Amino acid sequence: MITWKTVASATAAAAMLALAACAGNGTAADGGGRQDLEFWFWGAGPAQQEVMNEVLVKGYNESQDKYTLSVNFNNAVDKNIQVALSSNKGPDIVYGSGPSFSAQYAASNKLADMTPYAEQYGWEDRLLAPMYESGTVDGKLYSLPNSLINIGVFYNKTVLADLGAEVPTTFDELTAVMDQAAAAGLYPSVTGNKGWKPVNQNYISMFLTHEAGGHAVYEALQGTAKWTDPRIVDAVNASADFYKAGYLGGDDYANLNFVESMQLLAQGKSPFFIGPTLAFQFASDFFNEEAGNVEDLGFMPFPNVNGDLASPSFTLGSTASLSINAASENKDGAAEVIDYMMSEDFAKEMNKSWPGYWAVPLKDFNLDENEYEGLSKEFVKAIKETSTGVADGNFGFFAGTFLPPATASALTDIDGVWLGTVTTEEFLTKVQATFDGELAKGLVPPVPEPTK
Amino acid sequence: MSTTTVTAAPVVRPGRRRAKRDRTLTNYLLIAPALLLSVIVVVIPGIMTAVLSFTDWSGASFDNINFRGAQNFVEIFADPIFATSLKNNLIWLALFLTLPVIIGLATAWLLLRRGRMRTVYQVIFLMPYVLAPVVNAMVWLSIIYNPNGGVVGALGLPGPLSSLSGALYAAAAVDMWHYWGFLTIVYFGALRQTPMEHVEAATVDGANAWQIFTNVYLPSIRSTLMLMFVMIVIFSFLAFDYIWLLTQGGPAHSSEVMGTYAYAFAFGSFQFGKAAAVGLIMSAFGLVASIVYTVMSRRQLSQR
Repeated sequence: MITWKTVASATAAAAMLALAACAGNGTAADGGGRQDLEFWFWGAGPAQQEVMNEVLVKGYNESQDKYTLSVNFNNAVDKNIQVALSSNKGPDIVYGSGPSFSAQYAASNKLADMTPYAEQYGWEDRLLAPMYESGTVDGKLYSLPNSLINIGVFYNKTVLADLGAEVPTTFDELTAVMDQAAAAGLYPSVTGNKGWKPVNQNYISMFLTHEAGGHAVYEALQGTAKWTDPRIVDAVNASADFYKAGYLGGDDYANLNFVESMQLLAQGKSPFFIGPTLAFQFASDFFNEEAGNVEDLGFMPFPNVNGDLASPSFTLGSTASLSINAASENKDGAAEVIDYMMSEDFAKEMNKSWPGYWAVPLKDFNLDENEYEGLSKEFVKAIKETSTGVADGNFGFFAGTFLPPATASALTDIDGVWLGTVTTEEFLTKVQATFDGELAKGLVPPVPEPTK
Repeated sequence: MSTTTVTAAPVVRPGRRRAKRDRTLTNYLLIAPALLLSVIVVVIPGIMTAVLSFTDWSGASFDNINFRGAQNFVEIFADPIFATSLKNNLIWLALFLTLPVIIGLATAWLLLRRGRMRTVYQVIFLMPYVLAPVVNAMVWLSIIYNPNGGVVGALGLPGPLSSLSGALYAAAAVDMWHYWGFLTIVYFGALRQTPMEHVEAATVDGANAWQIFTNVYLPSIRSTLMLMFVMIVIFSFLAFDYIWLLTQGGPAHSSEVMGTYAYAFAFGSFQFGKAAAVGLIMSAFGLVASIVYTVMSRRQLSQR
């Protein structure tokens, strides 16, 4: 017979069992006395995971005996990290999309202040000033960009030769070759946002750099100019004209992603793939020794549309950012891993077999492309050029890295202007309103000032 | 002089009272786990969502959270993208209330008249429904709708997912393809419950197949039809996965639905308060559908 006394005892017993089950998850330390460090990364392909495990995990673990690093690969890493950080859990080393991501979480006290580690390891002296500063919030360091990217033009030398064209050096030459390609039944260029709408941010950022100029965007980010500034209006209109002419993936912009675009470029279906340097990591599947076309791939910065701007100029960004979880019990270890990843040796090893993702933004990166082979050679050359451009101040900003999150999302809607569903004025008015809200909340990360 | 009639209270023996109390206690204990789970997983987050929809919560932490009143709702209702997404949800609803229902009923009817291989057909029809949405979406995205090397490309047609006017319908086609098999199985099960005497009587009276279907089978599965209609209405306002996997609401928000609209606020812009507000609006539509169903069911029961 069940009585209330029985119910009370059973409830108490169940509660004690539940508490005992939850209590066990304290600091994880393995049998060898090492502390565990966790790093969550996106779902890179098997070959790339192998490189990371070899160079980062094995390399770091064998270099010291205090910590054991493990990397967890998952395509939903950004959502997982958002949820984990919100509940004060998650990995020790936090992988993010850039300063805009880290500013948000730093403001919510989810990321550790890395300034003491920066002083300890000398990061400020080691890294390119603009990239280092972008990870600070109110003078304190909360993230470091893991890699430099630029947005430019991949080209297939064989296709250009077949078209009887030289590698273009100006915007007019670029569009002329694309017209030739279209007349020959090829795609003028290949690229697309299939599966990831924020790819749009690459192209609006590119036109903001090469038509409005990086300084115009810098002024808008400081609030000293409006997003409806005529220079920015011209950039938006130039991107729309470019899209409508079929220069961004022809009619298939929404039907292609970067991997397919690289494949089409390798197959000779287009002379150009317009995209970020991180796309080098997709190139090796299609440009390789087996296909005998490794030497076919080249990369050039996107040419200026506005002839008054300094040339060449670069759309600066980072593939990701590295931060330390404020809830981590091994912050020192996490800082050690980040330091390990911000080194020339690490960059060199990773770039040998995984070009595109690991252009560590080092000041004195002794990059000699002759030390590399194949695609890595072309990638290192591209990054060297970008680094020089950054040092000279000839750069603009990739929205996904440097703009606050809602403003970057608002810029993703550029395809409305391209497709004629909204006017340039409506689009930029919305961007302005969104930006004003984030500026008021202090979510705009510090950005380096380009040359005027 | 007034008289009062006193009615003696019914005599309940103490033993029976205790047994009744124990049975009630047992009943509560048996439903306690499910109730607890519902409260923790559904009710509490539901109340939190409703509360957060009036704030500017960024989703990162609760430290810096401000009450905004109805401002989130004002901004959402003034946003043309919300109007587009609501319109698309209504289109989605119209599509799902017609095409998969008609196909499901037709194939269930054909299965009913089929003697052999019925189970094999049911398994084949149900396959798209049991496959993960990601798998289905990848098949359609990479093989069928791909203008480079896919079926669409082989036929020389433009990719439908890049069309401003066609992207929503292309995504809906994939979801309908995934869903109609489930309706077939549900309707088939319901059709088999129809008393054969009614069917035989109609046949003897000279009714043809169409007359038997509309006058005997359909009325007998009315409650199943009603239930599936309500489920379709609710799920149409919650539509998300196929649209997100295939178009992410693009191109240029032309295939945006309230689910993808809310998701973009939450995970693209760190505006969880607004995402919660959109979620609340979506749920309101589902709630209306549930109330209508409940009223109709009660009316139907009271008529019996």
